[in-house]
Amino acid sequence: MNAAMINKTSFFILRVTIIIFICQSIVYAATPVIDIEIRNHLFIPSEIVIPENTKVKLVIHNHDETDEEFESYELNREKVIIGQRKGIIFIGPLPAGEYPFFGEFFPKTAQGKVIVK
Amino acid sequence: MLLSSVIIVLREVLEAALLFSVLIALSKQMGLNSRWIIWSLLLGVLGAFTYGMNINNVSEWFDGVGQEVSNALMQLTIYFMLVVFMLMLYHFSCKQKVSKFPLSLIMIMIILLAITREGAEIILYFFSVTHSQNYYMAVLVGMTIGASIGISIGILFYYLLSNLKPERSIFIGLVLLLLVSAGMISQASLLLIQADWLPSQLPLWDTSELLSEKSVTGQLLYALLGYEATPTAIQAGLYLLGLIFPISIIMGLKFTYTRKKILSDRPTKQ
Amino acid sequence: MKSIRFFLSIVILSTITLMAFLSALNGYRDSMTKAEQLFDSELMDKAHLLSIVFSALHIKNKSLNTDVSLIDLESESGKIDNGLTDETRGEDFNDHFFAFQIWQNDQLLLRSLHAPETAISQFKQGFQDINFFNHRWRAYSYYNQRSNLWIITTERKDIRYVLAENIVLETILPVVIMLPFLGILIWSIITYGLSPLRTLAKELGSKRADDLTPLAIDKQPVELIQVVNSTNDLLKRLKASFFREKRFASDAAHELRTPISAIKVHLHNLSHLIPLPELPSAKNSFLQLQSSVDRMGHLVEQILNLNRTSAEQYVTRFTELDIYNIAQDVIVKEYAHFEEKQLKIALEGEHCHINGEQFALEILLQNLLTNACKYTPEGGSVLVNISSDDNNVYLNVEDSGPGVPEDQYERLFDRFYRLNGDCHTSGTIGCGLGLAIVQQIVELHHAKISLGQSSFLNGLLVRVIFPKEGAK
Repeated sequence: MNAAMINKTSFFILRVTIIIFICQSIVYAATPVIDIEIRNHLFIPSEIVIPENTKVKLVIHNHDETDEEFESYELNREKVIIGQRKGIIFIGPLPAGEYPFFGEFFPKTAQGKVIVK
Repeated sequence: MLLSSVIIVLREVLEAALLFSVLIALSKQMGLNSRWIIWSLLLGVLGAFTYGMNINNVSEWFDGVGQEVSNALMQLTIYFMLVVFMLMLYHFSCKQKVSKFPLSLIMIMIILLAITREGAEIILYFFSVTHSQNYYMAVLVGMTIGASIGISIGILFYYLLSNLKPERSIFIGLVLLLLVSAGMISQASLLLIQADWLPSQLPLWDTSELLSEKSVTGQLLYALLGYEATPTAIQAGLYLLGLIFPISIIMGLKFTYTRKKILSDRPTKQ
Repeated sequence: MKSIRFFLSIVILSTITLMAFLSALNGYRDSMTKAEQLFDSELMDKAHLLSIVFSALHIKNKSLNTDVSLIDLESESGKIDNGLTDETRGEDFNDHFFAFQIWQNDQLLLRSLHAPETAISQFKQGFQDINFFNHRWRAYSYYNQRSNLWIITTERKDIRYVLAENIVLETILPVVIMLPFLGILIWSIITYGLSPLRTLAKELGSKRADDLTPLAIDKQPVELIQVVNSTNDLLKRLKASFFREKRFASDAAHELRTPISAIKVHLHNLSHLIPLPELPSAKNSFLQLQSSVDRMGHLVEQILNLNRTSAEQYVTRFTELDIYNIAQDVIVKEYAHFEEKQLKIALEGEHCHINGEQFALEILLQNLLTNACKYTPEGGSVLVNISSDDNNVYLNVEDSGPGVPEDQYERLFDRFYRLNGDCHTSGTIGCGLGLAIVQQIVELHHAKISLGQSSFLNGLLVRVIFPKEGAK
């Protein structure tokens, strides 16, 4: 009786895991990629538009010598982008609206926003 | 640049300082040798430098999300260390014997990891921003101010906690550690969502109108309880789980202690 | 260990740091906002000025029927070098701080050298932040309705920011720099503030064990008055109880003197009334009784001496005395005892004068000599030596007895302590008060006493060192 229950539960967990993996890979395959450059402590482009309720992969290329930290309270994201490297950040799905982000190391110039439509 | 350097340094220092002051106050209450403090600070600074200097390599891991994963891993380790520490603390508060060496070791690990994670960001920031001489003075002043504010809050917090009665300070310390550790879980889950290791979802609610994460109170609450204005369901769920897990173990311990006590009391009554 | 000084210094410094820095940050933010507004209004003014000047030019040109839009932007006349700040005007393209454009109906009429050819910002009145030419700019767009002109003026945000920050930083820097000095100041002030506590602790710590005089209360701060009062109260009670104890001992001794004398007399009478030689067992008891009574008499006498020579009781003023003469007198007095044991006694040295009290010094010498006599086996010798140098007078009493182990020296001065306890080998009467009395008298004369081994008699050497200027 007990063993049967354990069997059942473990089977259930396995199934759920598989489903999650499948879902994830589907989502992953459909994830749009948006490139952002950092030059001279500026985000180029400084405004990006993404569709509503969609996960998006941001690839941030830092062309500066210095590191930069991509930061957004609205997006709940925070990541150090090393100088002359690139970094990957997944954002979304998000409801429509404007989500400002900034470079925490040079916040006066490195500013931008994500517009979700 | 001054304000942003204050914010960056303050946010990192505050988190470590609060954790540090709670642990020092509790270790004083438990009558521990304070040598662990120096060790953890030393190793922490060493760790921060190592991590900061090698972050470009770390970032490359796991298809470019190595930073998030390693940070999350550190957070999770701190969480489990904190859980073990809390259990030992509870053990101690029940007048049970607690071996002091592992306790010191756990505290060293917690502080070491916390400083490594927080310190690395400060080091990266400092070297990036002082690349151009324009900001040198402002950044230096800002970092001094940020660090001083964080450390001052830590010190005041420590004295507040250590001047309470032992039982009360242990109880408050336990609650604080509980909240901080759950905050760690929340941060770790956020990082894993960012790295796409955990599925991302629409935010469950939005309290940024009510209390913005940008505000000073928001920052303080973020450091203390891992406050998040727009959490997703997974994040909130893991936060709750992180809160319930140590509580349930402590409750279980409490139950066994009382049962033991009843059992040991019974023969004397008969 | 908790230190009040450390706690206060750290907590006060932390609080001040917190408050000072938070208010400095607030000030910084406000100043930066004000500076931003200042720059913005300047940008606005520039736009307005350009608009007025250019409109006038435009209207004049129109009246002259010249098409303004034909102004050759590439020619020298079309280029207007802004040159706002001499410092920022460099060869480097990046260092330009100010740029502008003048538009009419989507046509660029005029631009500064380092402005793009496309519209910098949307044609919308007001301020905007935009990126161009690798920098972030603050742009102001102004529409002149009369001449139908759009004037867009821009300034580099980063340069604006550095300029403003450098000014504001000047006000913040002193707050940061003063902090270490503040720390030192707080530390010193607290150290100074706590000095009455330290003084009190020092005063209590340096108090001699038998000094029960109350502490001065008039100089104490309010916070310590209670402590000092309680301490003084305790001292008072302690003193009273010491006094009672002393009084009891001396009163009891005094009261015992008379009955003991009476017992002695009666014992003497009894020895004549009873034919003791015929009753050997009774004789033994009788001798025991006699020795006990003698011992009791000695004890009572010593207790009285102890009491008489105690510092509290002693009020007599010192006079200049010749210690040699006193020694001579005492030896004469005690000579009978020495003769009884066939001991040789010699007095050596010189006449030395010290400030002292005759009776007390007699008791001192008497006790030392009695001890020497008691503990030196028959046929031995005792040497009394008096010498002096520039500062001190030395009194040495040596004997050829068995001496005393070095580890016992300290204890010898304890009251009622006798070497080897009750199993005293010498079999002589004694109560263990002799050296206690001696020490008391020594202290009374501000002298020092030390024990050692006699260099040529191999017994105990007692050395008393009197200061020559004497006690005041």
